[in-house]
Amino acid sequence: MLNFPIAESFSLFLVSNHLFDYRKPTFNMKQRILCGVLFFTGILFLAAQNDYPTNQQINQRLQSLNNDRTTTLTSLVKTEGGQDIWVLKIGTGDLDNKPAIAIVGGAEGFHVLSVELALQFAERLVSNHKKALETTTFYIFPNMSPDAYAQYHASLKYERRGNAAKVDHDRDGSVSEDPYEDLNNDGLITQVRVESPLGDHKTHPEDARVLVKANRNKGEGGSYQVYSEGVDNDKDEKFNEDPAEGIAFNKSLTYKFPVFEPFAGDYPVSQPESRALLDYLFDQWNIFAFVTFSPANNLSEPLKHNAQEAKKRVVASMLEKDVALNKMVSELYNKTISQKAFQQDNQGTDGDFFQWAYFHFGRLSFSTPGWWVPEVKADKPENGEGEEKPEKPKEKPTVTKESNFMAWADREGLTNVFVPWQTVTHPDFPNQKVEAGGIKPFVMHNPPYAMVDSIALEHTNFILEFAKMQPKLEFHNVKVEKLSGGLSRITADLYNNSPLPTHSEMGEKSRWLRKIRIDITKDKEEVLAGNTINLIDKMDAFESKTMSWIVKGSGNVEIKAGAAHAGFAVLNVKL
Amino acid sequence: MRNRLYTPFICFALAIVSIAEISAQEKFFRAIGTPHEPKVEVSWNRYNTYDGVVDIMQKIAKAYPNLTRLESIGKSVEGRDIWLLAISDFKTGNPDKKPAMYIDGNIHSNEIQGAEFSLYTAWYLTEMFDDLDFINELLKDKTFYIVPTINPDARDNYMKEPNTPHSPRSGMLVLDNDGDGEAGEDRFDDLNNDNHITMMIRKSPTGRFIKDPQDSRRLIRVEPEQQGEYEMLGFEGVDRDGDGRVNEDGIGYYDPNRDWGWKWQPDYVQRGAYKYPFSLPETRAVADFVMKHPNIAGAQSYHNYGGMILRGPGAEEDLDTYNREDIRIYDAIAKKGEEMIPGYRYLVVYKDLYSVFGGELDWFYAGRGIYTYTNELMVSYLYFHKNEGRGNQEEELKVDKYLTFGDAFVEWEEYNHPQFGTIEVGGFKKNFSRAHPGFLLEQDAHRNMAFTIYHGYHTPKLSVLDVEEKNIGNGLREITATIYNERLMPTHSSQDLKYNIERPDYVALSGVNVVAGMVVENADFNIVKEQTHNPQKMEVENIPGMGTVKVRWIVSGGGNYSIKVDSAKGGLVEWKK
Repeated sequence: MLNFPIAESFSLFLVSNHLFDYRKPTFNMKQRILCGVLFFTGILFLAAQNDYPTNQQINQRLQSLNNDRTTTLTSLVKTEGGQDIWVLKIGTGDLDNKPAIAIVGGAEGFHVLSVELALQFAERLVSNHKKALETTTFYIFPNMSPDAYAQYHASLKYERRGNAAKVDHDRDGSVSEDPYEDLNNDGLITQVRVESPLGDHKTHPEDARVLVKANRNKGEGGSYQVYSEGVDNDKDEKFNEDPAEGIAFNKSLTYKFPVFEPFAGDYPVSQPESRALLDYLFDQWNIFAFVTFSPANNLSEPLKHNAQEAKKRVVASMLEKDVALNKMVSELYNKTISQKAFQQDNQGTDGDFFQWAYFHFGRLSFSTPGWWVPEVKADKPENGEGEEKPEKPKEKPTVTKESNFMAWADREGLTNVFVPWQTVTHPDFPNQKVEAGGIKPFVMHNPPYAMVDSIALEHTNFILEFAKMQPKLEFHNVKVEKLSGGLSRITADLYNNSPLPTHSEMGEKSRWLRKIRIDITKDKEEVLAGNTINLIDKMDAFESKTMSWIVKGSGNVEIKAGAAHAGFAVLNVKL
Repeated sequence: MRNRLYTPFICFALAIVSIAEISAQEKFFRAIGTPHEPKVEVSWNRYNTYDGVVDIMQKIAKAYPNLTRLESIGKSVEGRDIWLLAISDFKTGNPDKKPAMYIDGNIHSNEIQGAEFSLYTAWYLTEMFDDLDFINELLKDKTFYIVPTINPDARDNYMKEPNTPHSPRSGMLVLDNDGDGEAGEDRFDDLNNDNHITMMIRKSPTGRFIKDPQDSRRLIRVEPEQQGEYEMLGFEGVDRDGDGRVNEDGIGYYDPNRDWGWKWQPDYVQRGAYKYPFSLPETRAVADFVMKHPNIAGAQSYHNYGGMILRGPGAEEDLDTYNREDIRIYDAIAKKGEEMIPGYRYLVVYKDLYSVFGGELDWFYAGRGIYTYTNELMVSYLYFHKNEGRGNQEEELKVDKYLTFGDAFVEWEEYNHPQFGTIEVGGFKKNFSRAHPGFLLEQDAHRNMAFTIYHGYHTPKLSVLDVEEKNIGNGLREITATIYNERLMPTHSSQDLKYNIERPDYVALSGVNVVAGMVVENADFNIVKEQTHNPQKMEVENIPGMGTVKVRWIVSGGGNYSIKVDSAKGGLVEWKK
């Protein structure tokens, strides 16, 4: 049975040059389209999308989203590669003064799933969940790496991070002088292995397709040298160290910026797209949280608290109270998302976006890859409990990311994820056996497109559930007492009816979050006690604060309390 | 007949010329060290607004077209051009390929004299080019990139609008400083309309101050058991927004000197940081220029005040960045500077001043490998040749009594304040204490310039010292070239080498067929390192200061050849046989 994506927004797209051909019965492209057309024609839709969209298709989907009355689509800038950096702002009413969540996709260009997840969130939100807009505003940045993303659909496909800027990654004075080469002419950059007693790799004991590092500590010798697919163009004995790509968005922001490393550049935020995004974000005072789809994961498990690093002047650990918030949101995530965490060991990398949003922008910040290769458990040994143990405990099988992936692909019947090793001639190893092959690019980070639908559905639900937790200011226990001589005392409790504080511990430090401001609309001369303007640094989860004023005169008084990222509560009092 | 007609005219013309000559000779006598009868007349005992700065730059550029290039490197927040003068002998090679010294001033808008010191440097170099062999040779070898003000908007605001000696410091973007959602809603108010923001005091039975009976300008604290007469109310201002605070949200606030791209930190770590490195157009303009001019090997930034020659690191966390080899060069230049500028001390920012992340000098050095100083101009020493420290009120009152005769102080005067009632307004003017009084300006400008000339002089100077040729049989020759750097600075600072900030130096051989190329690491014992890829263009990672590098080729066939040295920070040198 063909498993076509069932998205809420159907558009007819040209089927692009696709990478995945995972399905058990292996149809070729044309057959599949034909099949799809036959299958769906009678049912209304022509759901022909069976691969991740091209940049052009993304633009079309955004344009069609822009037809909705709740959305505004804006291009922040064009990248060096000529692609738009889009923001889709979704909201109703006084949308700049409602707490907002920003959704970011395409932090990494090779992580094509992330773009689809951001897009589908927007599509599902607009089609099915408009009610959420009554309280929350959403900013969708579907793709921060469109230049790199395009490599997925290019004639030569490889996992690309950098944009189209010209960068001398190895800092030798020549730009992009050692790019990849497709030695076996399959349109994919995989790996080459060179048979050599000097090699530090060997074949995996359980899966000969996969290479593992020889364990020198256990006295293992290697039999292969392993390189990325290409030649050493500049004869510096490094392979493909200066590829034809530029700066990686997710390695070039200010938090722990890895200066002078490849893909990072000479100083942080050097690229038009990162500057445009940050400039825009610094003007949106209502964002209280970010959900970034990127390889880092602090949703399956929260970030850890390191008291020493948190105390340093240059803070290098999430602060204690914020770790507790992270934990609470992680619990929600694990409740909403069916996939169990496996090998989710990336909790942030230097210069990345999601850590920037927390450490340097003071917002709650969450990241998830959206999908990962599930754990494939080895077959259980025959002997059951209570039986005699074998004399020698069987050595634990080596599970690497690659071997687990291949086992999973086998289990799922994905037949098109591996390029069999094939002998090629290689100018740098003229007298040695050189083979090109290995796991195809993209497939370890992005599931077959047919799986995306359910992933997007679950993540949409997670974000919507999370939005319900947002800070919510309310007035309670309002009292007006008449004093003599035309004076009144107004008393009210300001209450944050939310499990989240209005300011994270980090947010409280940041100048880029406003304080909670309470205004009473009365002339200064008529307010005898309590100021016309009051500022509160933060309101904790479920915290209430009693406020009171003595005012002169009669009529209506409006009291307004809040901040853009926490929303506003308004109280009308008749004197 | 004709002759007779013309003669009187000729005589008359000659008379005019000689009168002019005579009058100059009679009226002026050359002072050593100063351009005599400069083409561009400038008074070095006053300050210039932005228009004044640009006017002087344009006059210099017009008077010396073969020595200058005037260019705008970008626009400020309010759209003013940020002007740069490139100064070099344009007839001896491309100035953007010569080793260069970059100088800027006024990053903090209230620290104004950096612009005048920079301008003085541009003026002196151009006016002295024909007079002094040293300057003549300097401009043949080097380029000076001079940007007098990198904060032009707020420079004008400081001068033209009411300010304290410390404001605005930032540029003219107006931020929300008190977190109330409004930006710049409670600024200073010039109550007495004198264009200076001075102090407010008020008579009060609970005040802890009295006016000094010896000197009424001065408020002195009374003894704990004594009754005072006055209380202090801070800088001139009113509570404009009714939040019970005065002057809490003015122009800015951010600090352009916390906006640079080395180990930048956000505002909660480093107060004054803006959004991200180079998020201000003024600093971005400088950064873009520096990125495009890898020939800059030395740099100077002018601030005020306190009489300091500062180097990084700005923060203790960055201590490891400044390594011993580079500190040796920093020390050599700055210690000479201490001699040239009496009263100034050579200090390290993080331990002798305060902690700074994202400062300009750290980015220039750590981010670009450029040896860079910040001078804190103006020092108490210049008043009475005693170092009384910053903001010494006793000394300042004395200066204004005996040297400036009351020009620096606004006498206390009553004013009716909307919130405080009857108060008195007065105090030192904004252009006193941090800014030099006019009579001290030229001397200090000259001395600081001399320091930057010394600094610029010691950017690398390369030559092909020696070329040895040896016949090694089979039609092969061995050619060994010695490249010499006759100045203190290497072509790559050790910070540069650590990160490969700048490309290697190239030593290229042309005209003959190269069989092999190598760098000679030890000539005595013939220890060499071969370069297999592209050996006709040898890559040399560094040419050390006051040192040499030897490059060797094995070539086949006869014929003449040439050797080209191409170093980003060391310039271009060619040798021909």
